[in-house]
Amino acid sequence: MSALLASGAHFGHSQKRMNPNFVPYAYGVRAGITIIDLDHTLPLLRRAAQVVRGVAARGGSVVFVGTRTDLRSAVRLAAERMGKQGYHVGERWLPGTLTNKVHMFGPEVARDTQVIPDLVVFLNPIPNIHAIRECALEHVPTIGIVDSNVDPRIVMYPIPANDESTRTAELVAGLLSVAGREGVAIYQEEQARAAIAASKRSRSREPLA
Amino acid sequence: MTPSLESGRSFPLATQSRPGRLSARTCALVRQRARSPSSSVSLSRALVSGAVRGTMNIAKQVAGGALRFRAYATAAYVPPASLEGMQRARPPPSKPKPESPSFYTGRANYFDQLLALEKAAKQTRTALQELQILPLPRFAQQNLPPLRGVWKNKEDLAELLEVGLNTSRYRRFIGQLNQLNEYRRLAEVAGHMELAGRIQRVLDMFERENKDAILAQGKRKPVKFDEFGRSYTIGRRKESTARVWVIKAKEAASSSTAAAGQGEAQPPQDAPAVGIPGFTRGPLSMAPTPIKVPTTNILVNNIPLVEYFPHLSDRERIVRPFRIAGLLGAYNVFALVRGGGSTGQSGALALGIAKALAAHVPEVEPLLRKAKMLKRDPRMVERKKTGRAKSRKAYTWVKR
Repeated sequence: MSALLASGAHFGHSQKRMNPNFVPYAYGVRAGITIIDLDHTLPLLRRAAQVVRGVAARGGSVVFVGTRTDLRSAVRLAAERMGKQGYHVGERWLPGTLTNKVHMFGPEVARDTQVIPDLVVFLNPIPNIHAIRECALEHVPTIGIVDSNVDPRIVMYPIPANDESTRTAELVAGLLSVAGREGVAIYQEEQARAAIAASKRSRSREPLA
Repeated sequence: MTPSLESGRSFPLATQSRPGRLSARTCALVRQRARSPSSSVSLSRALVSGAVRGTMNIAKQVAGGALRFRAYATAAYVPPASLEGMQRARPPPSKPKPESPSFYTGRANYFDQLLALEKAAKQTRTALQELQILPLPRFAQQNLPPLRGVWKNKEDLAELLEVGLNTSRYRRFIGQLNQLNEYRRLAEVAGHMELAGRIQRVLDMFERENKDAILAQGKRKPVKFDEFGRSYTIGRRKESTARVWVIKAKEAASSSTAAAGQGEAQPPQDAPAVGIPGFTRGPLSMAPTPIKVPTTNILVNNIPLVEYFPHLSDRERIVRPFRIAGLLGAYNVFALVRGGGSTGQSGALALGIAKALAAHVPEVEPLLRKAKMLKRDPRMVERKKTGRAKSRKAYTWVKR
């Protein structure tokens, strides 16, 4: 796993416009570029995968946000892996999607469906800072690939890594979506078991013929 | 609202009972978490899970709560283990989740359709690559038939997709359709009709209804024949219009009628036909074979041609298409001509007859075209201009 990360054009980004809050995740500086410490990244990535799996296992909806042209397909595939519980945003996040949902989706949809997602994953958080803010306002937990010029506290579960590299983003999205897929499988198993138990109970409650 | 993320606990909405204040549970959490090493991250987590509703200034709230919770510090301590089996407040009934995976883009219908088109394009591309049609060499690309897509306009497409469309989104959609259209043309030209048909079915949804009419604009309409085999064509020249009906003349039954009519119709003959005297060998020594000249009629405004056009030049002009095509006695013509003078009317008739012959006998069309018989003569009478006596004639120049 660590080898995969290391080979995936993952380490190091940005000049010395490093955010001071990022220092714990930085390994050092080389040729004017901050090198990210992958020994910190790996456990945080695992934690994020656990979060995604947990959310999916409880039937939660996960939204993958990647608003660059090269991230569009990665985000779509990640959402496809998670089936009915996965969503994607490959184009610009429209401001007010969560905070102005009545206007955005109409009163019927806002009333009858669960519009607020249960988890949002950002593959490029810097252009989507308003989306992160909306998630914070609506109390939605967030995961994000934070770079060295970004304060890692903007998202709940930061993954310090290079946000400009397509391969890194695909790797992270793939990893999280695979964990999500496992969670979805767990949820569906539980549902099936609950359905069987419910049918047994209803059958046992029927008056004996 | 937010499901629990840590252990199996779910926190009831703290602010339901006491809006604007943190509950005992949340305060206990804050205290607990404040002791943990990675405080900044878990503080935010605690704040989120504490469900402080709708206030922007969360930090102030927490500080206030921290000051205020002194009053609750004396609340009874419950060990966590005994909370495991506790009955919780039932969570609110969960609402169904949105269906479309692109729901959070705000334009689910549009993106679903666009992504479906992109997927279709990708699949077609791989199929064409397998069939070795893509990538195409340059000479093949240059010789492809022209492509023209007639797609729905922005309003109709917006109605079809049930979503608002602006120009950039419309253009992107049309770009995808054009790409698919290109692949369809490649498949068609390469002979893979099944693949082309499948792509066409996808594209049919987005094409305009009057697509055929638009594609046929500017093209020559084919001449129609009625149930008797008559063609109807129109010819124009100067100010005249000729409406021409042309029908193939029935060939006279060769031997019987000829034999019957021989005695009466033909002029008195000499002795049995011989070759030219003085020639013993060669073609001129042989008796000439009588050529049967079929008679056909040309009626103009119900008047025979000879009466209507007394001038030879006009008659020659009218008969010229037959001469060029080699169909002199093959067709009967009925025409209605109006407007202009004799030259105009004869020219109009000639054009009408030429078009009709091209329709009856398509092989003849290149001959007529080369002879410029199928071109409507664009010359018209030039208008008179002010300051001139006629269109070109100037008044007499006066020195002073």
